[in-house]
Amino acid sequence: MSDALDLLTENFGAFASGLWVTLRIVGVAFVIAMVVGTAVAAFRVAPSKALNRVGGIYVETFRNIPLLVLLLILFIGVRRAGLPISAWVAGTLGLGLYTAAYIAEALRSGVFAVGKGQIEAALSLGLTYPRAMRRVVLPQAFRTVIPTLGSLIIAMVKNSAIVGASLLALPDLLKEARVVQSETAQTEAFLWAAAGYLLITVTVTVVFRHLETRYAVRR
Amino acid sequence: MEYLFSYDNWEWLWTGNNFRFLLEGLLVNLQIALIAIVFSLIFGLMLALLRLSRNRFVSIVAGLWVDVWRNLPLIFIILYLALAIPGSWRDAYASAIPDFFPDAIQDELVLGALIGLVLYNSAVLCEIMRSGIQSLDRGQREAAASLGLTYFQQMRFVILPQGLRRMVPSTVSQLITLNKDTTLISIIAIQEVVSAGSTLASVNFGVEVRPAYLQVFIVVGLLFIAVNLALSRLSRRLEIRERERTGTTVEPVKGLEDQVAVQAAVIPPNR
Repeated sequence: MSDALDLLTENFGAFASGLWVTLRIVGVAFVIAMVVGTAVAAFRVAPSKALNRVGGIYVETFRNIPLLVLLLILFIGVRRAGLPISAWVAGTLGLGLYTAAYIAEALRSGVFAVGKGQIEAALSLGLTYPRAMRRVVLPQAFRTVIPTLGSLIIAMVKNSAIVGASLLALPDLLKEARVVQSETAQTEAFLWAAAGYLLITVTVTVVFRHLETRYAVRR
Repeated sequence: MEYLFSYDNWEWLWTGNNFRFLLEGLLVNLQIALIAIVFSLIFGLMLALLRLSRNRFVSIVAGLWVDVWRNLPLIFIILYLALAIPGSWRDAYASAIPDFFPDAIQDELVLGALIGLVLYNSAVLCEIMRSGIQSLDRGQREAAASLGLTYFQQMRFVILPQGLRRMVPSTVSQLITLNKDTTLISIIAIQEVVSAGSTLASVNFGVEVRPAYLQVFIVVGLLFIAVNLALSRLSRRLEIRERERTGTTVEPVKGLEDQVAVQAAVIPPNR
């Protein structure tokens, strides 16, 4: 056990910077996922069949493609096609676009969970459709999907390891642990990476449990 | 755009055995997924029963086990097991696996991948099954108990048939995630569809038509989309029929990547 502790103290910088990179990947990808996901959800609930279809195709494509394949397309595929995309852009964009499909589905179900009377009432008060969406339906929809967003952030933390482990090789927690492992030949390096991942996921769980009791609407 | 649609960059697809090579890779993924699905369902059910055990110690230990494995990245588990599994286990696997599986699955590295997939997915499936069982009305068990059924009989004849049936949609969406996750084993050098794609896109010797990386992986992606869409359509049909028959609704499960798919499927496409 003291060996394992020595491994942590001697390589603390590597583990800490890996943890920080993981958090940054998740943070940037989450912003992309929220923006794209909200737009796609708006497409899916819009009063237009064509827009619904476009949103549906987006969701079905990105939900059913393996994240690893998406990352390979975005990084190596796009590079070979002559566009010099950086590993950070490819990694966060890949994870963000992938998660956006799930967020769009969550928001869509949230929008439908808001009673039909709400939007009818808003429209009859003379609000335009986009305004009724933004002022009346979406604030309620976001509150309904808080627990789902928590699950999705945890899934993003786990999926960010794919970004680090695939050919992009961003120096995230898993990557750093592998470097420490190969330098010291001690598999305990993985133990500390596991502790790091559990630390993040448990924190997210606790924070969202709190948010849920404060804001969430149970329907 | 010009690059994406140019004929030269797609010509590899119908040249020689390229497409067949990709399909053979995909078959390895599907077989590994199938083996992992069978074991994950069995272990997931066992874990769910342990978590619901009336013995507090058993249920707490099972809960900790499940929470650890489902909160770790699967790729992390697979990479760790690639290092940590003793050589003797691998030898045992290589000699125990039946001959009718393709060479890629006979590879001793596959053992670590399978154990990783099963550890992770059985933990997630345990949560799905537990919430299905817990969503049942208490009266069901009490009624069964008052009829004189033993604990085992209550589970076997009353609780599990109803509880598990409710969780079919969540289970299927997790199995789709599992199917996608089989691509991760390319990172520990198992010959499956992603490795096949990389091989195709890097061969240089004696071929007139050189496959373009982007197009190869677009095809790989489309293959997965086709398989997974078929699976989710099937699950949706099952679920609608089930709801019409029993009038039950689906309980959300925490920590499941694709639970939104299930919730969304509950809502009719046009309200």
